[in-house]
Amino acid sequence: MTRTSLLSLALFIALLLLWEAFVRVTGISALVIPAPSAVLSVLWDGLTVGFLWPHIWVTAVETLLGFGLGCVIGFAAGVMLGEIEFLRRLLWPYVLASQVVPKLALGPIFIVWFGFGMTSTIVITALICFFPLLENTLTGLQSVPPDKRDLFRMLGASRWQTLLRLKIPSGLPVIMAGVRVAIVLALVGAVVGEFIGGDAGLGASIIAAQGMMDSALMFALFIVITALGMLFYQLTILLERRVLSGWTKGQNQ
Amino acid sequence: MPTDQNFLTISNASFAYPDGVEAVSTVAWSIPAGAVHCLVGRSGCGKTTLLKLAAGLLQPTGGAVRMLGAQVQGPSRKVGFVFQSPSLLEWRTVLDNVLLPISLHRPVTTADQDVAAELLELVGIQEHTNRYPRQLSGGQQSRAALARALITEPAGLLMDEPFAALDAITREELQDDLLQLAALRQTTVLFVTHDIGEAVYLADKVAVMDAGRIAFQADVALPRPRNQTQRYSTAFNAACLDLRHAMAPSRRDVA
Repeated sequence: MTRTSLLSLALFIALLLLWEAFVRVTGISALVIPAPSAVLSVLWDGLTVGFLWPHIWVTAVETLLGFGLGCVIGFAAGVMLGEIEFLRRLLWPYVLASQVVPKLALGPIFIVWFGFGMTSTIVITALICFFPLLENTLTGLQSVPPDKRDLFRMLGASRWQTLLRLKIPSGLPVIMAGVRVAIVLALVGAVVGEFIGGDAGLGASIIAAQGMMDSALMFALFIVITALGMLFYQLTILLERRVLSGWTKGQNQ
Repeated sequence: MPTDQNFLTISNASFAYPDGVEAVSTVAWSIPAGAVHCLVGRSGCGKTTLLKLAAGLLQPTGGAVRMLGAQVQGPSRKVGFVFQSPSLLEWRTVLDNVLLPISLHRPVTTADQDVAAELLELVGIQEHTNRYPRQLSGGQQSRAALARALITEPAGLLMDEPFAALDAITREELQDDLLQLAALRQTTVLFVTHDIGEAVYLADKVAVMDAGRIAFQADVALPRPRNQTQRYSTAFNAACLDLRHAMAPSRRDVA
């Protein structure tokens, strides 16, 4: 471990101790700010007794399904708009307009359409992931340098070959950046989706904890959500490294 | 149909962009098979446009371009094109890049791989065969691009300032390699550059372009094979000076 990472760990422990001391000295209500020790004991119970696991599972499944669905559809739509100029001109104003619509505000109508539970949350999550993928795919496909386009024309490549062997690989770094944005948004989408219409999951548990005025549980859930988010993010970075191995091989020179 | 001894014949070709700006106006030029011709001119004189007309990447708005007697209708695989930037695919190895012109049309055979290996050796980067373009220097990338253009054994090479971004010594090495490779297979070369010395060194014949027209043309009567010491000869410098005057007629006194 380097000096700075040791320091930042020390800072974290110091902040926790400060927080603990503050709660004990002021005697502030556990409803407002629970002590770290109380949060950790709830978290420990939740993980060992096991009542948190089903909720973690539900949220993880919603996040990944929504993410997968949103990414695949967003990528496909990006390729379509990137390849068919007419479609791009026709639909671009709508794409722009739909970017501005707060997707989470559509939650209530999705509950009307898909009912309470996982389906609504997955649809909201997919919708949120759709846009970064659409936009980055479109940008990625159009960022091919003109010389390389001319090269493929000179070599007599078909449109399909140009797409598969030039445009998509060439745009992959930009597309993967979109995937990274999408995974973070996906977790937010899943948790907030559960706020609105979930009957299980970490978001729904936060609402339930609020109902029971159990702040320590709410804090424990924040920690779980953060850990889940970091795990997903790291997995995406691993995926990105794998997919872009050809590019990175040239850069660590 | 009249028989055509020339590799490339440009008959009064013009090209105007959709906004009406004429980049090439009524240019007539022909290149005999096996010759090396250089096109010099300042930025924006229309030399790259003319090269793209020859390649079939652009269609003339007037006149015609014929290659080996047939009208150029579109990009032809009979010629290799080398671009200003090496334009290698960063996600493929050097070998895959060199084999690209083949792998786009049919499965690559071991014979193809042998040809590629031989070419990489000819351009002097055989030890980088399995590396990725970003691991190579600029000169090595240009060499890989040259090998890629030659893999299909094209009858002609069209080159658009391919060495412009390289340092002087590397550029001279690549010029020698190009001349050697072109002589080996009697490849016809049309080479666009803004560097007077490069044009004289490479060419059998040079043309100066200005405002879309051929403003000057001259045969270069230097003996072949060329070598770098010729650069310092009187004949070489005289040829360069003529070109220099032709490129900037209004400042004839600078010399």
